Amino acid sequence: MPDGTGELVEHLFRQMSGRMTSHLARLLGSSRLDLAEEIAQETILRALQTWPYHGVPENPPAWLFRTARNLALDQLRHERIADHKQQDLRPRDSTPAPDANLDEFRDDELRMILMCCHPEIPRESSVALSLKTVGGFSVREIARAFLAEESAIAQRLVRAKRQIRDRGLTLDLPRGEELQSRLDAVLETLYFIFNEGYAAHEGEDLIRRDLCVEALRLARLIAASSLASPKVHALAALLALESARLPARVDALGDLVLLENQDHSLWDQQLIALGFHHFSVSISGEELSEYHVQAAIAAEHIRGGLSGTMDWPAILHHYGQLLEMSGSPVVALNRAVAVAKVHGAEYALAAIEPLLADPALREYYLLLAARGHFLLELDRREEAAACFRAALERRCSEPERRLLRKKLKECE
Amino acid sequence: MPQYILLLYENRPGVSNLSPEEMQKATEKYMAWAKMPFTKGAQRLAPDHGRVLRPNSGKAKVTDGPYGETKEALGGYYLIEASSYDEAVQRAQAHPHIEYGGVIEIRQVFGT
Repeated sequence: MPDGTGELVEHLFRQMSGRMTSHLARLLGSSRLDLAEEIAQETILRALQTWPYHGVPENPPAWLFRTARNLALDQLRHERIADHKQQDLRPRDSTPAPDANLDEFRDDELRMILMCCHPEIPRESSVALSLKTVGGFSVREIARAFLAEESAIAQRLVRAKRQIRDRGLTLDLPRGEELQSRLDAVLETLYFIFNEGYAAHEGEDLIRRDLCVEALRLARLIAASSLASPKVHALAALLALESARLPARVDALGDLVLLENQDHSLWDQQLIALGFHHFSVSISGEELSEYHVQAAIAAEHIRGGLSGTMDWPAILHHYGQLLEMSGSPVVALNRAVAVAKVHGAEYALAAIEPLLADPALREYYLLLAARGHFLLELDRREEAAACFRAALERRCSEPERRLLRKKLKECE
Repeated sequence: MPQYILLLYENRPGVSNLSPEEMQKATEKYMAWAKMPFTKGAQRLAPDHGRVLRPNSGKAKVTDGPYGETKEALGGYYLIEASSYDEAVQRAQAHPHIEYGGVIEIRQVFGT
């Protein structure tokens, strides 16, 4: 009869699936990623079929690793019997003991994510492959999270794996400058995954929040490794601080709650502490990345929210910095919001004027929404209403749409 | 109190495509059922074919068991207590195995 409470650490199977896949891929070679995934899946299935009868083992991760390794060795033995000539199917590494220090498995995960973000693999495939192999997400879950077709995600995975085989991409750690650029690609991928999960959507599927959790987990994994750098800590800080506000971002009716109206008691204190910790480590060096500045802005939002007075001049300063670094029109738009707070809506309107002609923003509902917002503040109601109406014609999610309609009402 | 054996036959295709997250949910449901006070024993059977002995001109003929890849294999059993067959059935109905496409066979232990 099973003993123990039967409760498992949240996301244990998903995370262990990623770890086992990474570990097995290293054991079997990167060209046999499919096999590694199959064995990881079979291992999780064995847990489902065994634990309900005999109870959760004392050390679930060790049980899973032992089972996975045994399945992998069985498989290799079968293959050797089937084909005597294939001697190179031996495990490549000296194989660690099943309950060896988890550090080694973290190393496997790092190597895997670095391979997933190889420049030979297109970004969208990198994202899908990272979530599938390191993240332990299923194809269906990835498709749901990205509001994409399952077949499209499956295609991306097939393409990525083909690249790995054809180009002979390995799990070896790149060196020197290549390591740096690869790490940058990893951070970009994590940033992308996080933002995808952060964007509000109708029905607010929990799987999208899981994307944020996973991106933060991986950022912390890298921050705790020998690959850590101020930039890595800055990204970890940014993701932790943004995650902290997630529970307050949508109200009970599924409507978006703007930062200034959020219920601070819903903010996650642990994540705030974690974010500020990474932030303080990130500013210890000379390096100043966009993640640093974004984290600084997120930190100001938190501080301002908790203290009741937002330091808009500081936020405006950071957005100015960020705009200089990125030149992104979206950043310019965000900066305009800070301009409105510091100098007034008139200046903000002038600040976004050049953006209206930017082809990259033409279809962006937020530009029109922001403009409407500034106009409304200046009591130019008819012009404001026209902006909100135009924004409603652009692509945006249902919660965003409701917010726009509310604004449109205020113009009457 | 009468005792009953619940034989759980597995439905591999029904669970093998679940995501790890979904498998964890399933495991938690199975565990929650298994720790109810009426369960008195449980064993998981090894996932192999098993062996069957049949008489063959007075001697035993040994073959691989009935559970190939495609058949629903007997995965394990629980021993439970229930006041009647009806109650035993009720308790088995609450088992998540059915939800995941598995089959449960109930037999009363003789003399209990």
